[in-house]
Amino acid sequence: MTPLAHYLILSGLLFSIGLAGVLVRRNILVVFMCLEMMLSAANISLVAFSRAQGTEGVPVYDAQVLALFIVAVAAAEVAIGLALIVAMFRSCRSVDSASLNTLKD
Amino acid sequence: MLQDFAFYTWAQFTPAFVLVGIAAALLMVDTFAPRFPKQGLAVISALSAIVTGLFILPGDGGISLTGLAALACIATGAAILLGVDYHKVTCESVCGAGSQEGTGEFYALPLVAAAGIFCLSQARDIVTLFVSLEVLTLSSYVLAGYFRRNRGSVEAGVKYLVLGALSTGLLVFGAAWYFGMTGSFSLSPATLAVGFLSPGRITGILLAYVFLFAGAFFKVGAAPMHGWIPDVYQGAPTPVSIFLGVASKAAGFCVLILLFRPLYSVLSVPEVGSLYTGRVFGFFSIIMAATLLIGNLGAIPQSNVKRLLGYSSIGQAGFILLLFLGIQTFEVPESGVGVEFVPLQHNVFYYLMAYGLATVPAFYAVALVRMSRGSEELSAFRGLAKTNPRLAFLITVCFASLAGVPLTAGFIAKFRSFVALLQGGSCSTLCWLLPIAVICAAAGFYYYFKIIREMYWEKPLESDKPVTVPGISMAVLILCVLALIWFGSKPLFCASPQGLWFGF
Repeated sequence: MTPLAHYLILSGLLFSIGLAGVLVRRNILVVFMCLEMMLSAANISLVAFSRAQGTEGVPVYDAQVLALFIVAVAAAEVAIGLALIVAMFRSCRSVDSASLNTLKD
Repeated sequence: MLQDFAFYTWAQFTPAFVLVGIAAALLMVDTFAPRFPKQGLAVISALSAIVTGLFILPGDGGISLTGLAALACIATGAAILLGVDYHKVTCESVCGAGSQEGTGEFYALPLVAAAGIFCLSQARDIVTLFVSLEVLTLSSYVLAGYFRRNRGSVEAGVKYLVLGALSTGLLVFGAAWYFGMTGSFSLSPATLAVGFLSPGRITGILLAYVFLFAGAFFKVGAAPMHGWIPDVYQGAPTPVSIFLGVASKAAGFCVLILLFRPLYSVLSVPEVGSLYTGRVFGFFSIIMAATLLIGNLGAIPQSNVKRLLGYSSIGQAGFILLLFLGIQTFEVPESGVGVEFVPLQHNVFYYLMAYGLATVPAFYAVALVRMSRGSEELSAFRGLAKTNPRLAFLITVCFASLAGVPLTAGFIAKFRSFVALLQGGSCSTLCWLLPIAVICAAAGFYYYFKIIREMYWEKPLESDKPVTVPGISMAVLILCVLALIWFGSKPLFCASPQGLWFGF
């Protein structure tokens, strides 16, 4: 059986890659994919912890319930996000974050 | 595990069901009766939010978190009510002048968000907290980017979405680690104590708490998660800025209190407290100082009033955070879970109420000036005292209250922040935090009075006509100003220490 730590390292890596992508990439669509990756990283941790906390092979299902909710919320977020990105493309003719420049100090 | 969820009853969530039901009904009317005037939808929506808010407002002055939710509902109602007068701009920015197509959702969505805030105030575990927070946040993304023909609004929506989703990611990662270290999502001291007292888990639970707090700080607009506020407040439709400024901020403080409550209880256990109390409050002090400085100093050079109000909202969040320092000093007559939070919740409620009563009319003023003069810049307020003396006076009272002039509610609220700081801060903290708080309060006078100066000292241009003030807006402005003066001058008549803390 794979030890818990391996799952947590994988999840931590995914989370870091996602966070780095959000901070570094300039294309809003890629940024958005990275954000979804961060949510998936949390899901991996949740499911792994749910197994690890369980006794006699029965996981604690609370964490898996939250994982399901996160999937649902991520789907809603994608729907709204893509709609906003389409609106942004219509008004700026670009999905580059550099074109978001009307609001600044 | 079961006992945790036995906290919840269906009846407890009735106001949320009512709000969502009305929102669904409004959407149906919008779809199947397209000729029904959208302003009628807005009036129904606003009234139902305000009535629900008044209904759930606890009689004892916001002792529980439900008080914050009631405040948020009323603020949502006020925001939608501005939408009635703002309808022309909404139509222009959504589908072009002359057509009101596609504006119905604009008035129904805030109700869904308000239902989310109500559920949030009832949350006792992280799953409920997360889901209700997302109900609020997802509706806010749509609202912020609603004016799709307005480039600023779309940009605000995209920025809010990216930064909001980032904070959601941090929050759920924190939730995963919270579960991993404690074996439950319950936000009770007993659960958290498992994480703090088991050997080898302390790092994990602290990591979880940092991530969870990051999510809460994003909502209240505290540093270092404040970056979205000025841009989104400036770009979003003005009614939505009201919603984000008051209702969404109240929700953020609900989250913060919900997370802080078990942490504070665990810190009272001697072996944990001796190690971590100083560090936790030190961490909070740094956040407070950064929030105060960024908000208040950032507001000084602003020339756009909505952006200025955005920075001011960061600064005011800093003053509300100061209230959290006072938690250590409250004398608790009887023991019980979370009893020591009653005065804190009351203070946060009072501050948010004073802030909301001043911010709502301030944004109304921006919207009125924008409708008549087509600009949201400071210079658009020029000579308002000549053309609209009554409106100018009402706006003056609001900004004076935001700055904290005595005899307005804003003064009492800031006073409470300083009392919490003076009583709760340790000597070493006071040395550097008190000067920062004083400087920031003084800076507030400078930038809020810039608007008052613009109205009274600048002359109107020849072509400037008086700003037209529709009846609903005037009524809201007058009500808010009366309430500000009433709450601000009431301590004169009942000046016992008891009256100052618990009286209204």
